[in-house]
Amino acid sequence: MKLFTAFLTAASILGAATANPKGNDAKGRFYYKQTCKTCHTKGAKGGEVTPMSKTQAQWKLYFVKAKHNSGTEALLKVMPEEQLRDVQTFLVNHAVDSPQPETCGK
Amino acid sequence: MSEATIPRRAFFHIAAAGAVATQIGCGRRPNTAGQRYEVATACESCPNKCSVIAVVEGGMIRKLNPNPRNPKSRGMLCARGNAGILQAYDPNRLKQPMIREGKRGEGKWRNASWEEAFDYAAGKLAAIKEKYGPQGVVWSSTESFAEIFFKNLGLAYGTPNIVRHPTLCLASVNLAYSMTFGTVPSFDLQNANYVIMAGANRFESFITPDTMDLIESTMNRKARLICLDPRFTVTAAKADTWFPIKPGTDMAFILAMLHVIIGEGRYDKAFLDTYSTGFDKLQAHVIQYTPEWAEKQTEIPASEIVRIAREFSDAAPRAVFYAGRRSSWYQNDFQMRRAQAILNAVVGNWDKQGGMVPNGKMPLGELLFLPWDDPQAPRVDELDKNFPLAAKGDGAYLKLRENVLAGTPYPVKGWMISKQDPFNALPDQSKTLRMMEQMDFIGVIDIQMSDTAWYADVVFPESTYLERTDPIEMLPGIWPAVVMRQQVIKPLHNTKPCLDIVQGLAKRLNLSQYFDYTIEQWNEAAAKEMPIEMPLEYLKKHGVYASPDPPRYGATLQPEHRFVTKSGKIELFSERLQEAGHDPLPVYHAPEQPPAGRFRLVLGRKAFFTHANNTTNPWLLDFQKENRLWMHPQSAKPTGIADGDLVEVTSSVGSVRLRVKVAEEIRPDCVHMLHGFGKRSPWLKRAGEGGADAAILETAWDRVSGNAALHETFVQVRKVGVPS
Ligand code: SF4
Repeated sequence: MKLFTAFLTAASILGAATANPKGNDAKGRFYYKQTCKTCHTKGAKGGEVTPMSKTQAQWKLYFVKAKHNSGTEALLKVMPEEQLRDVQTFLVNHAVDSPQPETCGK
Repeated sequence: MSEATIPRRAFFHIAAAGAVATQIGCGRRPNTAGQRYEVATACESCPNKCSVIAVVEGGMIRKLNPNPRNPKSRGMLCARGNAGILQAYDPNRLKQPMIREGKRGEGKWRNASWEEAFDYAAGKLAAIKEKYGPQGVVWSSTESFAEIFFKNLGLAYGTPNIVRHPTLCLASVNLAYSMTFGTVPSFDLQNANYVIMAGANRFESFITPDTMDLIESTMNRKARLICLDPRFTVTAAKADTWFPIKPGTDMAFILAMLHVIIGEGRYDKAFLDTYSTGFDKLQAHVIQYTPEWAEKQTEIPASEIVRIAREFSDAAPRAVFYAGRRSSWYQNDFQMRRAQAILNAVVGNWDKQGGMVPNGKMPLGELLFLPWDDPQAPRVDELDKNFPLAAKGDGAYLKLRENVLAGTPYPVKGWMISKQDPFNALPDQSKTLRMMEQMDFIGVIDIQMSDTAWYADVVFPESTYLERTDPIEMLPGIWPAVVMRQQVIKPLHNTKPCLDIVQGLAKRLNLSQYFDYTIEQWNEAAAKEMPIEMPLEYLKKHGVYASPDPPRYGATLQPEHRFVTKSGKIELFSERLQEAGHDPLPVYHAPEQPPAGRFRLVLGRKAFFTHANNTTNPWLLDFQKENRLWMHPQSAKPTGIADGDLVEVTSSVGSVRLRVKVAEEIRPDCVHMLHGFGKRSPWLKRAGEGGADAAILETAWDRVSGNAALHETFVQVRKVGVPS
């Protein structure tokens, strides 16, 4: 029951965030690298995941569903809501079909 | 003999004795007497980042040698690379922090300690933040390894107004290729059999190994080179065919080539079917652009356009329409580059040897730290509204200046500048001067008292590239590499590297948490992901690590490959452009032409003066001490202008005086001068003679990318004196 509530909360909060995800792209990148990349790299437990693993729409849907670990765990268990919002912003902004004009240098 | 007056001969003489011993993989190896050692580092006389081996003897840098381990620079340093040694030994360089005492630009300075300079600048920056918000300060810089620290200080301070050099240089070409292929590729000049260069002047303006590849290809392998340029440049002289194209009409030439290639079925159908989208729309679109129509626009005979189109498609995939480096020309620059990109795509040269190749990369780690909050205010250049597709982190410099001058959408009262001389880099010096005059504070980080620094409040003297260690960096390319710039000699004066300057300011702005690391820690974290043992040690020893594998072609030529575009394909027709209100296919609009008695000012570069600061280097000035205005005899004669006469060149925004070179090698409707002359700062005494292009260039920008358009100025030329 507790898990279910957590999922509902995550779904509604993150669903709202999808409409207007006021997350911080740079912070999202940091949390993604610090937390997600520990498992989601080549050869590691979670397999490689990068922003370019999904389209913008797929990432948005992922955060609406807000499930992790093959649907067995609420995303909110992985990191707090505020950080999730930042990670969502980062992943959506840099999804495979996102507009990313290439600049020279950084 | 003082350090500053050591002539070139002495440097080379001393170095020659040791040159034989200069081997690859030197690291820092003092000889037994501790007198002589070599350091593998990276050049910073331009942004190409060639690898260098510095030879130090008796504490002085005697010579800079090329480091052949770098596949990009190989066994070559250009003239600027060789002369870079004088950056350290320039007697007129900045040697300690300075604070302005008199009026802005009056030239009254007092020497300050670093503590004083930091306190003063941080106090001013804090006051502006308090009164106008962090958006009240613009943060501008030019590409360099250490630029990231400077830029991060601006972001941590909270300003959205970061503006970088691509918007004065290559933003339009970057955006056009990104919108088409999802990336900016390299051009495999070494293996191309047919090269078209329009406006790009690689044999004269920028001499690097890929220039030598092209020379080697054209001279030895008999690759064909077609040059379109209003001037008879060195590239034109070496080309198989030169067309003195009417300026601003390149897109008409390209569209007519597409007309021929598509109309005659000379395109790569299988490639386009698999990897592109929008061909049908392109096919219908270019029907209107016949070679006969293009002849009227470009003044290139229709039969020649047909010939070039056929030869180009016959030579494909080893055929490229070269994109060039600086693409700040016309207001339609983005669309012209899009047309180039589409032309390259239709002949199927993508990811093929001798064609266009997506850049290879190498893994680098990074030092992780929790970044700052997002800025609250929108950008002052209103990028989202004016140039929604432009690179957000680069901005649009000229629109930014317009809005700052107008005070909209909010006031900007501070300007932090690093490794950049906006006074000479931006067109219309009078506007830049007005922008500086309305600032409450200007802080400049530089190695010399540039014209911009001359108008600043605080000048922070940066250590030259030979005196500091910078962040290691990966150079993407056909053959990618990781390069390291490391300290060759200790700073000769009271100067600091960029990171130390940033940390000094950050501490006083309560932003230290974002800069709590050393350059060594930064580099250790970066090197960690390199695919070799003890990567940092390797880089310290060799200065560069290149992939052991030779270039690979065709990695993206898999039907399932997804290009980083909206559709996942090469976008001949771009929905994203359409959504942003731009032409989804390049539409030609004839450029305005100069009225009678006026000439179009076309710029260009010499390989020894690519940047404005090169004209202060005495070794480089030896090549050319004076900036002269090129003028065709047909244009000079009616106004009584003879070779060597002093003339006044006037546009709607200013005038400059310089002497004339009467030359057949330019179209009669154009005049030409070099960039970087006519300095104001009294500290740059040694700069060459002649006017500054920035004083007369008018403000114009490319409509899509916001990149500066520097070939849109018409000038009058009036004789004011005869040769003495
Ligand atoms: S091209 Fe010349 S100036 Fe530029 S980095 Fe290479 S050697 Fe230095």
